[in-house]
Amino acid sequence: MSVLATNITKHFGSFRALDNVSLEVGAGKLVALLGPSGSGKTTLLRIIAGLEHADAGAVALHGEDVTRTPAGKRRVGFVFQHYALFRHMTVNENVAFGLTVRRRAERPSKSEIADRVHSLLKLVQLEEFGGRFPSQLSGGQRQRIALARALAVEPKVLLLDEPFGALDARVRKDLRRWLRRFHDEIGLTTVFVTHDQEEALEIADEVVVMNNARVEQVGTPQVVYDRPATPFVYQFLGNVNRLNLPWHGYVPETALAAPDGEYAVFVRPHDLEIVRSRSGLGGEPGTVVSVHAAGASANLTCERASDGEHIEVELSRAEFDLLQVRPGDAITLRIRHSRALREEYVI
Amino acid sequence: MSAAPSRTLAQRSTAAPRATHDPLWARIALTLVALLFVAFFLVLPLAAVFTEGLRRGLGAYLAAFAEADALAALRLTLIAAAISVPANLVFGIAAAWAIAKFDFPGKSVLLTLIDLPFAVSPVISGLIYVLLFGLQGWFGPYLAAGEHPWLGAWLNARDIQIIFAVPGIVLATIFVTFPFVARELIPLMQAQGTDEEYAAITLGASGWQTFRRVTLPNIKWGLFYGVILCNARAMGEFGAVSVVSGHIRGETNTLPLHVEILYNEYNFVAAFAVASLLALLALATLVLKSLVEWRYSRALAAAQTEA
Repeated sequence: MSVLATNITKHFGSFRALDNVSLEVGAGKLVALLGPSGSGKTTLLRIIAGLEHADAGAVALHGEDVTRTPAGKRRVGFVFQHYALFRHMTVNENVAFGLTVRRRAERPSKSEIADRVHSLLKLVQLEEFGGRFPSQLSGGQRQRIALARALAVEPKVLLLDEPFGALDARVRKDLRRWLRRFHDEIGLTTVFVTHDQEEALEIADEVVVMNNARVEQVGTPQVVYDRPATPFVYQFLGNVNRLNLPWHGYVPETALAAPDGEYAVFVRPHDLEIVRSRSGLGGEPGTVVSVHAAGASANLTCERASDGEHIEVELSRAEFDLLQVRPGDAITLRIRHSRALREEYVI
Repeated sequence: MSAAPSRTLAQRSTAAPRATHDPLWARIALTLVALLFVAFFLVLPLAAVFTEGLRRGLGAYLAAFAEADALAALRLTLIAAAISVPANLVFGIAAAWAIAKFDFPGKSVLLTLIDLPFAVSPVISGLIYVLLFGLQGWFGPYLAAGEHPWLGAWLNARDIQIIFAVPGIVLATIFVTFPFVARELIPLMQAQGTDEEYAAITLGASGWQTFRRVTLPNIKWGLFYGVILCNARAMGEFGAVSVVSGHIRGETNTLPLHVEILYNEYNFVAAFAVASLLALLALATLVLKSLVEWRYSRALAAAQTEA
């Protein structure tokens, strides 16, 4: 394990930021800590970096216990959401900083430092920008400089706190793909914090979903999306309908496993099917309430006839074009795929 | 062809009036009022200081500075500033650092206490020190010879007095100029946040390296600005120093006190000549201040866009 955090608990005053949280990150992996704000993800990252100290629990990096090691000696690269570049230093000086603060005996020579800085700037594709100041760079460029600066000290682990949080949507998308390729190139164990599920699902090898100071689920993007372990994960990762039972012609698969009936059924909008008739055959009769058909898919809101519940349905463009439904049309809703989860978790 | 630009000009002038677009006469009148006010209350007195000082010619003007008492006052003013400015520089950085970068109980109390010297009348500030260190004051018995076994004797053997002497003047000056540096730095450091320091620490910098290479360069313009203001006040302080000084000519007179004495002795030329020196100092401070402000506002703006 490159990063191993065990039973971490942390309070800020009376606020519980982390409650007995454990995290394992395999060597060379790109892992996302995903959760809403206040879920404890950034606190966990800062505890791994040594910028915060846990009330209880231990942190080990590459098998070495670092719980009491100061941040500067942990050999972690940390990248901040707002870059935290030294504003009075040029890009070159920023990247060189970690090397120039070393003790004389360990410090590389001036020319070695210059070489290292140059090769790092080349790595982040900003080699012409060495003489500029941070204020003369765009957000995406600053973040890449921050990355180069963190890499200059040859960290064993790279930690990124909302690395794309301060960027606009377009740059964000480009930069996160770039980070994925970059990670594959250098192969450094990387943990990044994000509240953007799309970002986590797109680039991470593994996603750690956090909520309310706890870890809800750990798994590959596909697993956390397709087989959410808790209602929270279901709702946080993409859109979902929570259905009122009974649903005509449908027996939830886990109903058998939880015979006491204390479960809720979740269906993703794209796991529902619309049939253009109100026969109610093999499904529930309903009405189309509204249609948003701009983009690659069509989003429909339907109303179930039996109890008036609103249900979101997502159809592909092709399906929608074939169906040609309009608000007010009578339809039948069918479930293709769903999951039942124990009710006790429902928020 | 030539009609087009003139038409756009005409359009512009007949465009709908903006909310802030006052008629010409109002703008002229307002400007005039402001200028007259400034002339009467600021420029005129300043000019008067120099005219009065130079009334008997340059020779008499310069003679005022050649006098031994004037030189002693100048020296004392410089000493008081030379001690109180660095003291408040160190204190200001320490207090601003603590307040801006850390959370601790009593933080708001400290913040309020820093402002105390601004709120208290300088005369009271001086009286506080008389009350503390005067012969009848709280610490008086300990400071008098023979009363305290070693402190009083030690001070007395070295002929060290606090009130009606240089130490008292320095103490009062420090008290009065206490908030300047800290007050400048706190908002700047709060705006800059702590991310850069954290970044330096994760890169392996020690606490001192972080301070010297990251924190200090980031606050240097604010610091310089605070020091200029602090220095101006230290040299110009009258009330607090007047109470603790005892007005001993050639010994415990600072420049502002010297001006007062000369004036009370009807020695107007010398009084105004020395006053003009203080006025010059004020002008120099203003020039420096606006220079620094120009740089500093850019640093502050940069801090806010970065944050």
